[in-house]
Amino acid sequence: MSYAYLFKYIIIGDTGVGKSCLLLQFTDKRFQPVHDLTIGVEFGARMITIDGKQIKLQIWDTAGQESFRSITRSYYRGAAGALLVYDITRRDTFNHLTSWLEDARQHASSNMAIMLIGNKSDLEARRDVKREEGEAFAREHGLIFMETSAKTASNVEEAFINTAKEIYQKIQDGVFDINNEANGIKIGPQHSPTSGLPASSPGGNQGGGCC
Amino acid sequence: MDLFRKYLGAQQGDQLPSGAETVERLCERVRTSTLLDDRRDAVRALKSLSKKFQLEVGTIAMDVLITVLENDRTDTEILGYVLETLCNTMCNEPLDEEDDNTTHNHLPENMGTQFTEMFIKNPDNVREIIRNDGLLLLLHLTRNSTNIQKIVAFENAFEGLLNIINEEGTSDGGIVVEDCLHLMLNLLKNNSSNQNFFKEGSYIQRLTPFFDLQSTPSEGWSAQKVTNIQLMLLLLRSLVSPGNPQQQTTDCQKVMYRCGLLEKLCHILMASGVPADVLTESINTVSEVIRGCSTNQEYFASVMAPSNPPRPELVVLLLSMVNDVVVVGLLLVVLLLSMVNDVVVVGCAGCTAAVNGRLLVVLLLSMVNDVVVVGCCWLYCCCQWPALVVLLLSMVNEKQPFMLRCAVLYLNTISAGQLLCGGLFSVDPLSTWFAAVALLHAVNGNTAQKEQLLRVQLATSLGNPPVSLLQQCANILAQGPRVLTRVGLLMLLCHWLADCPIAVTHFLHNSANVPFVSASEGDELELVVQALCAFLLGLCVLFNDDQVENCQSGESLYCPLTYFWRELSAVSLFTVLSVLLERTVSDKLSQVAKHENYNNAAKKPQVDFPESAEVVFDHQFTRLFKKLESDVQKVCCVCDFQKSEVDEQKKQAVIEQHDSIVSQYKELIREQDAQLNTVRAELSDMKGKYSNTDKTIEELTQQIQQLKDQNALLKAHRG
Repeated sequence: MSYAYLFKYIIIGDTGVGKSCLLLQFTDKRFQPVHDLTIGVEFGARMITIDGKQIKLQIWDTAGQESFRSITRSYYRGAAGALLVYDITRRDTFNHLTSWLEDARQHASSNMAIMLIGNKSDLEARRDVKREEGEAFAREHGLIFMETSAKTASNVEEAFINTAKEIYQKIQDGVFDINNEANGIKIGPQHSPTSGLPASSPGGNQGGGCC
Repeated sequence: MDLFRKYLGAQQGDQLPSGAETVERLCERVRTSTLLDDRRDAVRALKSLSKKFQLEVGTIAMDVLITVLENDRTDTEILGYVLETLCNTMCNEPLDEEDDNTTHNHLPENMGTQFTEMFIKNPDNVREIIRNDGLLLLLHLTRNSTNIQKIVAFENAFEGLLNIINEEGTSDGGIVVEDCLHLMLNLLKNNSSNQNFFKEGSYIQRLTPFFDLQSTPSEGWSAQKVTNIQLMLLLLRSLVSPGNPQQQTTDCQKVMYRCGLLEKLCHILMASGVPADVLTESINTVSEVIRGCSTNQEYFASVMAPSNPPRPELVVLLLSMVNDVVVVGLLLVVLLLSMVNDVVVVGCAGCTAAVNGRLLVVLLLSMVNDVVVVGCCWLYCCCQWPALVVLLLSMVNEKQPFMLRCAVLYLNTISAGQLLCGGLFSVDPLSTWFAAVALLHAVNGNTAQKEQLLRVQLATSLGNPPVSLLQQCANILAQGPRVLTRVGLLMLLCHWLADCPIAVTHFLHNSANVPFVSASEGDELELVVQALCAFLLGLCVLFNDDQVENCQSGESLYCPLTYFWRELSAVSLFTVLSVLLERTVSDKLSQVAKHENYNNAAKKPQVDFPESAEVVFDHQFTRLFKKLESDVQKVCCVCDFQKSEVDEQKKQAVIEQHDSIVSQYKELIREQDAQLNTVRAELSDMKGKYSNTDKTIEELTQQIQQLKDQNALLKAHRG
């Protein structure tokens, strides 16, 4: 598949908030009510279109459990976007957002686009965190905010796509150094503006030509 | 810094030596010290100077540091100091130390960058050494930890590794390429997350050029190249291994077809001068790339070999088996098996082909050009899976059903027919076993074919009437040949008779067929044979539709059965059989397990070659046995037997009753018939008498009339 850009995402947040379900809904368009505990990280990918350009999203869904924290931290650096997820029916997951954010700020590139997600919006009856609280937190820390439901697929597409739009905008604004892959952004094989990338050109062209 | 000051303080006294002098002195110490401790101290001092005297350390100490990197690489402490020193000299960030000295303010901003470039452009290959050591380090780190594998993949390892491989000349490269490939294997093997990443990152496509082998040097392949290509093939196999999640494998297979990888692999199969090891691995790879994927299978079937005239590659491969029959032949089985969607069979077929290699040679040599017969050879070779044979035949554009072709072979093409029968009735027990198993698979679960096979007649010696195939099997059994022969034939017969009453009828038709059971005491295998006989007889009872009354199925079948149950305790026989079958099944399973873990043991052959002594049961037969065992037991167990005997007697009684009634009626009819005849005779008699009487009456009447007339005339005359 040829693409204009490739963005690397990570999904972070407390255990059980629905990170893996969000990814599954986004990549496979299905919902799995019982999901195995994520061990370390799991990978998923999907192509989206922004501004008429094909953008490949490579998403690493991390384990929320504290014991995996040292492993998951390895993925902060090198990601262009992060989905920080909490569960609107569990206040403690909302309360932990600050520490997640600290972690992200400490280990990730400062330009990383972070989307705050209040998941499980289908469980309105059991809501424990008000929408306004989420919005306020996001405003305070300069994040984008959305409430989603991995079960009903509500806002799931938007969450991933809006994050990509934010990154795309940052690229347009010249905030990101797109030639440095450590930022979690890669230019598609045939879109490469610099010919001085011997590293990716031979195989890259192959990849573009085949699919 | 404190340490540095102390150090310098002790050394300098009043006249403060310049930074350059100190650095030079320290370098000298590093160069000349024979003790590691001294060198380490000196480098530590250099490290602490490297920020403040970035320029001096960068210009003077670089060579020394690089030497240490090379020579003292076993000592992590000194390595750490060297790396930190290098780091400091190459750093562009301004000093934030409180004792930032004004003397250095004139230094250019990008000094760190300049040093970095100098270091990188150093012709001493130091960078390569670091790179290669880094590779080795990653190799160790990624060996067992899934999490580290994922992190390494996340850090763009695939990109980097592919670049290194390309820079080093892909398969023509040296040990570095091998290391890269090993590392990639570590990252992908049994790690579906990374496999997914590899696929989604379009890295599979980038593997395609690796298999461009047109430029094969005339002097042959170097050992390194063979290793590299083998690892590349293993890399592909790790992506399409049957052990991976199905969807993952399917996706990868599709990509491999679309990006031309499969095509390249097929070319390798046909290329000349490819070493046997590589060919072997290529066949394995192709088989896994096409396994269970119809598009890829169709493509493979359509590949034409560059022969004259062009033939399907598969056929050419078959013919090429003549050269290296055991190895390549075995692998071809694997390849073919991958065209059916059954992983389990692989293990079974492996042993079949290996032991039967020599048979294949004989067959192939005797009839090259005869594609039909090639198919027949495969009957031996792939006898675990008749669909393969069908497939094969369909590939040579022969659309007839397989059994039909076999029958035709039997009946018409004598030479070819002799092949199969020659196998079946060979003196070599192994050949018989294979031929029997081949037929067993052909008839398994297919009643139409069973019936068709019944019509097969074998010509015997001149002057004698032809014998049916079924009868011939029974005849051979009766001769009491080697155990393996009997096992094979018995398994064939069991399959043939199961669910096929007509075959049972045929079998029972010859009353000599039943008591062939030998009762000789023997080893475990002899017991197996007896158990098989019991099973066969049980099947006869189970599927007999009582059409063979005239051979008194009751007695002839039940006698040996009773013998079994009473004398030999058939229950224990069945237990023996069960245990053996279990063992066979678990053997097969473990083989498959070996197969699935193949990627872990990169250099082990795909399937082990069991000894021919282990050939006893066919997998399909174990399934039949499991399916029908309880039924047969039911039919055969003693109480049931007695019950059936009673039933039989009742039936007999009823029949006798019927007979007597009929004869009574017959008697009656006969009597009535006789009566009728008598009456008829009487009637005609009476009729005769009546007409006579009638005549007499008429004559008398006439006489009376005449007399009356005469009397009247006389009266008139008189008066």
